[in-house]
Amino acid sequence: MSAVIENHDHEHHGPQKGILRWLFTTNHKDIGTLYLWFSFIMFLTGGAMAMGIRAELFEPGLQLMDPIRYNQLVTMHGLIMIFGAVMPAFVGLANWLIPMQIGAPDMALPRMNNLSFWLLPSAFIILLSTAFMEGGLPGFGWTFYAPLSTNYPNIAYFVFAIHVMGISSIMGSINVIVTIMNMRAPGMTLMQMPLFVWSWLITAYLLIAVMPVLAGAVTMLLMDAYFGTSFFDAAGGGDPVLFQHVFWFFGHPEVYIMILPAFGITSHIISTFSRKPLFGQSSMVYAMVSIAVLSFVVWAHHMFTVGMPLAAELFFMWATMIIAIPTGVKVFNWVATIFKGSITYETPMLFAIAFVVLFTIGGLSGLMLAITPADFQYHDTYFVVAHFHYVLVPGAIFSIMAAVYYWLPKWTGNMYDEKMGKLHFWLSFVGVNVTFFPQHFVGLAGMPRRYADYALQFAEWNAVSSVGAFLFGLSQLLFLYIVIKTVFAGKKATAQVWDGAEGLEWTVDSPAPYHTFETPPKVNG
Amino acid sequence: MAKNNFSSKIFLYLVSAVIFMFFFSFMLVPLYNVFCEVTGLNGKIYGPSSFFIKDREKEKDSREIRIKFLSQVNESAPVKFFPSSNEVKVWTNKVSKTSYIAENTTDKQLTLTIIPSVSPGLAAENVKKIQCFCFEEQVLMPYERQEWPVRFYVSSEVGDNVNDIYLSYTLFETDRVLTDNMNHGK
Repeated sequence: MSAVIENHDHEHHGPQKGILRWLFTTNHKDIGTLYLWFSFIMFLTGGAMAMGIRAELFEPGLQLMDPIRYNQLVTMHGLIMIFGAVMPAFVGLANWLIPMQIGAPDMALPRMNNLSFWLLPSAFIILLSTAFMEGGLPGFGWTFYAPLSTNYPNIAYFVFAIHVMGISSIMGSINVIVTIMNMRAPGMTLMQMPLFVWSWLITAYLLIAVMPVLAGAVTMLLMDAYFGTSFFDAAGGGDPVLFQHVFWFFGHPEVYIMILPAFGITSHIISTFSRKPLFGQSSMVYAMVSIAVLSFVVWAHHMFTVGMPLAAELFFMWATMIIAIPTGVKVFNWVATIFKGSITYETPMLFAIAFVVLFTIGGLSGLMLAITPADFQYHDTYFVVAHFHYVLVPGAIFSIMAAVYYWLPKWTGNMYDEKMGKLHFWLSFVGVNVTFFPQHFVGLAGMPRRYADYALQFAEWNAVSSVGAFLFGLSQLLFLYIVIKTVFAGKKATAQVWDGAEGLEWTVDSPAPYHTFETPPKVNG
Repeated sequence: MAKNNFSSKIFLYLVSAVIFMFFFSFMLVPLYNVFCEVTGLNGKIYGPSSFFIKDREKEKDSREIRIKFLSQVNESAPVKFFPSSNEVKVWTNKVSKTSYIAENTTDKQLTLTIIPSVSPGLAAENVKKIQCFCFEEQVLMPYERQEWPVRFYVSSEVGDNVNDIYLSYTLFETDRVLTDNMNHGK
């Protein structure tokens, strides 16, 4: 792929000064930056909560908080990390990268883009404001199973916060789809699109399909709590199991919303630092599409123990296992790309390789959980906690960190400090594994999740896990330091930045000018 | 401006997809109930189902099945509620009678809803109730004790592997559930 570009500098189109620039901006780069900083603040908030949880679990017994506070921390940690950290980070990356990767001047609907960002802090203010109210933060787990959640105080704040977050995500996804469908550089066919763009196109369709279902679920919750309906309350003829079906019909595609963009990022980085084109580009696209389609027919594997008939359990077991095939295709393609490449191990590559290895471990424990009879044993134990943290922390979050290191020179014009970056990687890598690997052991030994206390025989591995969590949590402050330092100083980056990097975003200057591709580049397929 | 037309077309298409999915989530409720009704899953008691019972011989020799009675009181209801006998053995297709006892422990009149559930779920459709206090709301005067009869039979179409059936009733206070939910925001 080669590209011809012309950059015009329009002084009269430069950014506004002061805070108004950020409030009213319609520039995709500004909005991407806002999203990324917001998600980083939320990441530290949710991380502080996780460290509170691990501090309580450091030894058996109740030391720091009562079970109610503990439940609130667990709930908020989940909600903040999912809706506040991982999803906004991917939207931020989409804002920065999709227009630059497809040669578009901006997102298709820039004002809606501004609105969809600013809804997000509002939503979290609504949600977190319950901390200062009588009744406190929601404490029913991020899955808010009814009718437990309908009997909580402050449920209405939770419902409205979820509604606002949902609207923000839906608007963001509409923007992504319209941009990709409508604003690709002349000559760029769908199959020529970079994989990050592909992964976001699929993610956006998933969001549009399931965020309204989440909105419906919380609306039913609100009606049960305040308007006398009984969707989920058995007393009025409702059914609590129905809630789990509706929730996980949203919840499982949501899981893939949080990993598909990571697949795109990893593909770019592995190809760049192996100095080889990605192995099996189109099979990667088909694999992502199949994963997305399958994500709609596996939801009941989260609820094998509610008492389903054998036929349904078998169906959901096999459907879940089939997902291992497209996922396996992706892992093998990444390995095949690395194979016989001229590899260098800069920080983004280290994070990407760790992603492939550790995400695969998380995927394999997912296969164990998919086996229905085994799941009856594993259900609601720390084995499940270990599984989904392996796919989300060294999966989604490592890929976001890899993306930040990879594209930071393009965004700021400065190279980050490679030594510090590597130190951050190794601290994170060790921290993550020390935190979550022991949770497999205590889970298989029968330690249940969502309790503030535990039996004595789990004490040693929980202490190890807590130490790992503090290491991982605190080393993220190093990440913050590296990013801030790179924004203000550092070796100047070239336009190409990495010598194996390919794609339109590497053809513009570093830092990327405020406006890029005002004249569409020509792409020769 | 063909491109912009295309842009607004796809925008409208996506917005309608969002609206459709929002209402689809509400459609899941009747879909779920119909699915449970057709398949007879989930221990819910509906009319006969044709899904799992295929060409089973209509008349089989009657056999003995053990029915165990369970009772639960939802935390909100100030009522004592228990079966008069814990289990009976019944012959299929023969009507049997048992009863539950409920006692109001307060000085207020209570309106109660009782929700039945049958386990195993696949046998739910074979437990036929002729008379049941769960068919309608029950009212208990202050400190009143009532005996509520249940008449039922187990159809001989029940699966060969079913020898024990659990019949469980959960008692809720009708008014309290609604008013509690209306008030807890205050």
